[in-house]
Amino acid sequence: MNGCPEFARLDTLAVSRRNLLRGLTAGGIATAVGSAVITTSPASAAPAPSVLVVLSLRGAADGMSLVVPHSDPAYYKARPGIAVPKASLLAADAHFGLHPGLAPLLPMWRAGQVAAIHATGMKVPNRSHFEAMELVEDADPGSATRSGWLNRLVGLTSTGDPLQGLAVGSTPPTSLAGDTTVMSISDLSSAEVPGEDGRRASLEAMWRGDSTPMGRAMSATLAGVDKLAKAQAQADHASSYPDSDLGRALSSVARTLRADVGVQVVTVDQGEWDMHTELGTLSWGGMRSNAAELGKALAAFFNDLGTVRPKVTLVALSEFGRRVVENSSYGLDHGWGNVMFALGAGVRGGYYARWTPLLTTLDADLTVTTDYRDVLAEVIAVRMPGSSLARVFPSFARTPIGFMAGQTGWGRTATPVVAPPVKPAPAPVKPKKKKKKKKKRKHRKRKHKSRRKKKS
Amino acid sequence: MSIPRRTALAAGATAAAVTGALAGPAGRASAATSYAPGSWPATTVLPDADRHLLSRFSYGVTPALRDEVIAAGGGRAWFEAQVTAPHDAGDLTHLDWWPHLGDDAGQAWAADQSKVRAGWQLMEDYGRRVLVRRILTAHQVREVVTEVWENLLHVPTAADGVFTWRIPYGEQLRALALSSYDELLHAAVTHEAMTIFLSGYDSTKAHPNENLGRELLELFTVGVGSYTEDDVKSSARILTGFHIDMWTTFASSYRPQDHWTGPVQVMGFSHANADADGRQVVKDYLSYLARHELTAQRVARRLALAFVGDAPPSSLVDELAAVYLANDTRIVPVLRALVDSEEFAASTDAKLRTPAEDLVATYRLLGVTFGTPTVDESAANALIWQSSGMGQQPFTWPRPDGAPLTASAWASPSRVLAAMETHWAMAGGWWPSVDVTYRARTSWIPKSDMSFRDLVDHLSRLLHQRPSDASLLEGACLATGVAPDAAVNKTGVPSWLMPSVLATLLDHPRWYLR
Repeated sequence: MNGCPEFARLDTLAVSRRNLLRGLTAGGIATAVGSAVITTSPASAAPAPSVLVVLSLRGAADGMSLVVPHSDPAYYKARPGIAVPKASLLAADAHFGLHPGLAPLLPMWRAGQVAAIHATGMKVPNRSHFEAMELVEDADPGSATRSGWLNRLVGLTSTGDPLQGLAVGSTPPTSLAGDTTVMSISDLSSAEVPGEDGRRASLEAMWRGDSTPMGRAMSATLAGVDKLAKAQAQADHASSYPDSDLGRALSSVARTLRADVGVQVVTVDQGEWDMHTELGTLSWGGMRSNAAELGKALAAFFNDLGTVRPKVTLVALSEFGRRVVENSSYGLDHGWGNVMFALGAGVRGGYYARWTPLLTTLDADLTVTTDYRDVLAEVIAVRMPGSSLARVFPSFARTPIGFMAGQTGWGRTATPVVAPPVKPAPAPVKPKKKKKKKKKRKHRKRKHKSRRKKKS
Repeated sequence: MSIPRRTALAAGATAAAVTGALAGPAGRASAATSYAPGSWPATTVLPDADRHLLSRFSYGVTPALRDEVIAAGGGRAWFEAQVTAPHDAGDLTHLDWWPHLGDDAGQAWAADQSKVRAGWQLMEDYGRRVLVRRILTAHQVREVVTEVWENLLHVPTAADGVFTWRIPYGEQLRALALSSYDELLHAAVTHEAMTIFLSGYDSTKAHPNENLGRELLELFTVGVGSYTEDDVKSSARILTGFHIDMWTTFASSYRPQDHWTGPVQVMGFSHANADADGRQVVKDYLSYLARHELTAQRVARRLALAFVGDAPPSSLVDELAAVYLANDTRIVPVLRALVDSEEFAASTDAKLRTPAEDLVATYRLLGVTFGTPTVDESAANALIWQSSGMGQQPFTWPRPDGAPLTASAWASPSRVLAAMETHWAMAGGWWPSVDVTYRARTSWIPKSDMSFRDLVDHLSRLLHQRPSDASLLEGACLATGVAPDAAVNKTGVPSWLMPSVLATLLDHPRWYLR
């Protein structure tokens, strides 16, 4: 299936036409979108051999708060107000330790199912959220085409079934944008065509042959809804997750994966990591609540996967990291290197890092020593063998790390490559005096989940 | 699913026809059924060019707006009257529906602290009020253009502490919407809401916070690639001194002791910046940026993106940028050049309605009337959950770049699903159901015993502002199981089918385009 593009495309159309004919005779549903035909029938849902879930921590999560480099003295010097004390760290080794909020992940950590790969990112710093997200998710530097790496990955084996790729959240990310049509839902309960039975046929007729972006979305919707009915039939364990957008999204994903309807790639976005102010400490602030939510949600997700758990790998990443030195608002400005997490199937747990000693100048960054694509590519190489990495990450030569089973790379035990610190510029600022800060008032939005239309 | 399903009853007689059409492209030619569109010319529509202009510069052409355009002497004359009308500061449409909207920062903070009205609730009220204004205001062009600025100079309502100053921020952009970009930029960058959002309040000479200084260059003016990191640092230094008493009173002040002094240079702008009061250097700096050629390109492209197409031709952008610079950054001359351009004329139906535009148009064109909201479920309050459910609650886009304006960002299955749900609930008048009046179902039928085809044409003229086509008629027939020539009366097209007919109008590709 992973041969030349022409073959993949022909194959897609051929499969689609077959299904179309079957649809005509067996009462299935077929929808035309431009020159392609998207079709699905519940009977044709083949389970995917492995599933990749990509969780984007939007806004640039501070990786040095989540996975703390406690052995680097500059970390504590740079963050007098917000550093996580060494004594509070979980699963600490000689160099790193986890934020206490990630406690729910400890059972998986001890079982060797969680890897934290530090000092990752893009080769060149980019401190714009939007540009960085676009670049990270497009992952094809120099190309003018807007096409995400996950869309290309799905495209390698696309049968025309939009549910091979699934975005959960209000807006599908760039990583899934591209030529291959994928499904997106805000949550599982929304996956239906409301109204009278005739509405479905009406929609198909009116959008027939419409090749605009909205026409493609309509076709994917109608095909995806059919399959997701099976996911809706799965037991809902949302109460074991945090009561948050992330919790609800991952709960929807778990139900969908348990239904085993052929989903290969899932994206989930979580925002609110852009902590220029009030990142805080272990007793207050944004990091405390976000880390706890993240830990609880990820643990609940893996516990909720049931029999499909052995095939699910989750990767969590941000568009970039944050500065080493805290600012005067108990926050951190935009930086460079960051941590990435890999959890679940095929992961060989632990800390992985090639660490460059931190500096404490005002604009010091965590230096990126591992291209983020090395992490993503290693997961694909192990979990989706045969996928053409050259097509998913064009013009990228992969360096193995070793955090995935069977991979040999620089690994966690390799001698740390320590670059001599650049001579620090004279400190431009005298140590600031501590201000007594008023604890942030949280404006947590109430969720209005039960507002559904009513019967006439 | 709580919506009544009656098709099972109704479909008995027409099941064969429906099944035949279901087969999609290959099985489509059911030679027996002609979907030749009907004709109901008694329902007036605007000329195509006027419909196009109004589709971009209003939130939906209601019959009243159609008549207003005709009375004004056509679309272009109406547009001219709209852009030259002074800002009506007394346009306080339904301000009193949400009593805390007029609070100043200290009052808003106090109301939050005393739990009288939490900050996030106040921001929901603001979103409601703006949606109601888009639905009801007579100043449609000002409102549409305000949305463009409030998105370009975006301050998310959910950002910490922003609620205290966010409402006056929006009102100021509305007042300046048709002035000049120089004025808009200065008002936005020095406004307390922006100062809070992009950390300006805590940017001091000891610790200049780069957030605002960077976004000013990247998003509001010249764009990435035209400045260096040193420029960002200078930009941040210039902007030091604006202060908010965060989390105490939210009072605003300028503190010379926090302003970084000394020579600054950002791109081609340089200044001695010797005065402890940096407000003049800020004004000069913003004035420089507003008149920069790259800013002209950005503003021109943004307007073309909002009003012409997702990939506006560079010829048009260049032309608009030139008009912008020649008119000292004034907005109205640029808008005139835009609507008079060939590129605009050639862009009919080229834009996809965003989810929020879809919602507002649904209210406008279904003729839904609000009552004074009394409870959370009241329609004027439920608006905010409807927009959130459709994926675009006003002003909540989490990043400073503002919500996207292109089809690819909004044409997703999740949007389709949410729109279908909203269309259905409102076509039926099922939800929202409190403090709201929907048109009586029979009021959509101009004449008893008319043919179904003609009814569909009449509705197309009302909701799509143009005659119907075969695709719409086929959709309406499939949705209802009614034959094109059926007589519209109690037996042929009973009124309980009207929700399906109206939803078909809202499901059609023409509805999604503007």
